Amino acid sequence: MARESLLIATLVELADNLVDNYDVIDVLTVLSDRCVETIDVDAAGVMLASPGGELQFVASSSESMRVLELFQIQADEGPCVDCYRSGEAIVNYDLTEHDDRWPLFTPRALAQGFRAVHSLPMRLRGRTIGALNLFRTHQGPLGVDDVAAAQGLADVATIAILQHQSSLDSRALNEQLSNALNSRIIIEQAKGMISQATNCDMDEAFGRLRAHARNHNEGLTGVATRIVEGKLATNEVDFPLPPKLTK
Amino acid sequence: MATDRLIDIFALMAQHEREDPHGMSLCEVAAEITELSGAGIAITSSGENMTRLCTSNRLAGVLMNLEITVGEGPGTDASNSGLAVDEQNLDLSENSRWVIYAPRALAAGAQAVFGFPVRIGAVRFGSLSLFRDEPGPLSELQSSDAYLMASVIARAVLAMQAGALRGGLSGELEGQSNFDFSVHQAAGMVAVQGSMTVKDALVMLRAHAFATNKDLSTLAASVVSRRTHFDQGVGTWTEEKVGP
Repeated sequence: MARESLLIATLVELADNLVDNYDVIDVLTVLSDRCVETIDVDAAGVMLASPGGELQFVASSSESMRVLELFQIQADEGPCVDCYRSGEAIVNYDLTEHDDRWPLFTPRALAQGFRAVHSLPMRLRGRTIGALNLFRTHQGPLGVDDVAAAQGLADVATIAILQHQSSLDSRALNEQLSNALNSRIIIEQAKGMISQATNCDMDEAFGRLRAHARNHNEGLTGVATRIVEGKLATNEVDFPLPPKLTK
Repeated sequence: MATDRLIDIFALMAQHEREDPHGMSLCEVAAEITELSGAGIAITSSGENMTRLCTSNRLAGVLMNLEITVGEGPGTDASNSGLAVDEQNLDLSENSRWVIYAPRALAAGAQAVFGFPVRIGAVRFGSLSLFRDEPGPLSELQSSDAYLMASVIARAVLAMQAGALRGGLSGELEGQSNFDFSVHQAAGMVAVQGSMTVKDALVMLRAHAFATNKDLSTLAASVVSRRTHFDQGVGTWTEEKVGP
């Protein structure tokens, strides 16, 4: 599919998702997946600021530890932190050009095979609430169209945080941010339980959570909460379907 | 990334701890940082019973007793629903959700009450209640401070349940990230290893980190990479030797 068609399909899919009582983490994960499919990047993820101003990871196109680690480091330093603080996009930042801007982040990102990073602000009425982070394994600049598409997706992510709040009241926003970040913690707790009980790794555990949520038309957070509270046994969590055979 | 506001909170906690090493200063810190009339923290034990951890002053104490006695109020709702509760004008709330609590809280001198859940993921520790002797909403800063304070309280309660001393809480929490995904994954893993709740697993992890003088993140990473696990049969921790 051409990029434009993919983008339109993505926006329609997200708009569809935003109608019902949707799960914020689920929508932001879909958004991260679509970033990788529609823009020339290899990994994407969303970090949100807690009401106290700490950046925390909420969703990514990959749940592998190597990618999650790069978000974990960014609680302290990295492109998302700089982008969040300044409210300005960081585009086409070449990690191979040696400098000491991010002494913790850069060597880890390079070790994971990433060569370039981008971070786009998630802004709402003058307040930056987080950042969309894009990683590339190869060098070379992202085109103007790609950057515009990425910022559009970051704006959709921002809308997703508001979760059917009609008012943009700052207190309501604090509540949404706090709940989104706590949802991510619930999901990590449930991933740990599934991983231990069924001897799988963390990304498989996440895949099962997601499959179960989809199959039973439940939110990701709701499924994870039931697991942590002992109301859904880990061996009753669905498995994802095997990947479709594509041409 | 300890933000300026978090640094303010820890500095205030440290100051109270120096003045009274055996006291429980979290409520005073909550009231001072939010500049409200009073604060109370309730702990939810098994069976959803609320008990008082601390209150910042007389009014907060009266409201806490009232809430525990009548079984309704902002802390109860916040803890049960996991959502923040906002009652900006108790006087106007004729159809209040709290038929018994509201008139008595007003009579005691509170005009506005707010409740925030104290939680780590799906683990509920209790609630933070804030009061004011005038009606009206929280300001933007008061609101974000309240959420920040609730997250500090969650970690403080966890540390205390794992044996940390009251006089050293600020030191324990400083430098700790609220969101270290390996800690939360490890809590889920240990819950299964020891057939216990995730809450107990969090406390066990924290206590083991204290006992072995390890950083909680380091211990959690070791659990996630399956080098350390909780052995339910003997009720102890086992550490695998690394490498051949």
